[in-house]
Amino acid sequence: MRKNIKYLFTLITIFTLMAFQDSDILCNANDLKLKAKNILEPYKYDSSELTNIIYRNKETLKEVEVPMFIGEKYRIIFELEALPKEIEVQIYNKDKESKNRKLLFSSKELAADKKEFQFEISKVRHVFIDYVIPPAETGSYSGCAVFMVGYK
Amino acid sequence: MSIKKFTIPFLVVAFFSCGQGVDEKKTNESSEEITVDSSETSAVNAVNDENEVTYSLPSALQIAYVFKKSGASFIPTLLNSKENIAKYNISNYKRAVNFGIYSSDLSYCLFNKKYQQSKEYIKACKEMGSYLGLNQAFESDNVIQRFDKNIANEDSVVKIVSNIQLKTDLMFEQNKQKHITVIAFAGAWTESTYIAIQVYNKEKNKKVLASLMQQLLLSETIIKSLKNCVDKEKELQLLISTIEKINIEFNAIASVKSALEKDEEFDFYAMPISEIELAGIGKSVANLRASMIE
Repeated sequence: MRKNIKYLFTLITIFTLMAFQDSDILCNANDLKLKAKNILEPYKYDSSELTNIIYRNKETLKEVEVPMFIGEKYRIIFELEALPKEIEVQIYNKDKESKNRKLLFSSKELAADKKEFQFEISKVRHVFIDYVIPPAETGSYSGCAVFMVGYK
Repeated sequence: MSIKKFTIPFLVVAFFSCGQGVDEKKTNESSEEITVDSSETSAVNAVNDENEVTYSLPSALQIAYVFKKSGASFIPTLLNSKENIAKYNISNYKRAVNFGIYSSDLSYCLFNKKYQQSKEYIKACKEMGSYLGLNQAFESDNVIQRFDKNIANEDSVVKIVSNIQLKTDLMFEQNKQKHITVIAFAGAWTESTYIAIQVYNKEKNKKVLASLMQQLLLSETIIKSLKNCVDKEKELQLLISTIEKINIEFNAIASVKSALEKDEEFDFYAMPISEIELAGIGKSVANLRASMIE
């Protein structure tokens, strides 16, 4: 009996180690979005986006365009707990190809370990959310980032 | 320690390790609320990964909310008939685009406090949704019963519809069908723009016109979103070129063109827009809508 328990324990340990062997993180979209939804209120849910974040051998950037209505107030919630390594979230008024775009927000302003945060904005007709993904030390690994948009 | 003790765990590790690529996504998307096939989820993310830029489109509900704030009236004859539902169950494109159209009609009824029509259109959305595999989004938590019960409380019903939206977004995202969200939004946008044009033509309300212009501004993002999934359904190429035509007509409005050239923000309350400029767009939107609901 004792031998069997030891045996089972070994198996569980191995499976746990296997799950994180590439430093990938389990990505539960449902949980992440429900968490975001709780912070979104009293704003009304409008849209949400789960972005797969892959850390490669160099810094990469992923951009999401979010159209908005001028005159409306918006809250954007970020859930970054399913990321193996910190990324920077930047919000701009124009896309990454524009020369004169203005930085409206950067997660660098927040504590480094902050995995959940919000940003409020109005009087814009769209924002561009940039995920600045740092390089991986070895190989590549992945996680995911979620944001949710609500309006008032 | 005997070697035998670790033989089986070693074989198990070796077996599983061989099947894993470095970039392979390990997801566990199933939950109590929404059941999804996690094996399909990784493919959704793979699609995302191919595109450096993605687009997050607004909901039909928000468009209707903004439109209602402009003071627009309710014209029931503009809604797509619920009797048409059955004829749309012929292709993914037709199902998705008309799911969007009925969502837009529901939102228009909702913010105009048309309780009976709202009840009927949420049922239309549920039926169209069932063709798209969205039963769970409409059946969990007694959604329809709660909607009916709270119908006179706008905040409550808006919350219920927002939750349905979140659930459908999740289901499409997790079931490798994100393109359906985009097509559905194209349908919702076409319907809301059609309604806005018709209401403006009747009332000539400047605020309604400003709201309509904001809706037309979305055409560019819809085109880019559709281009990201153009190979998913055969009808998308034509849909893109039709919305591109509307976008060109919109950008050709003299005041819009001038603002674009000067890289100025749009102030649709102050910008002059002629009836002739609007007539061409109105015709194009009406034709697009007719092709969707036929």
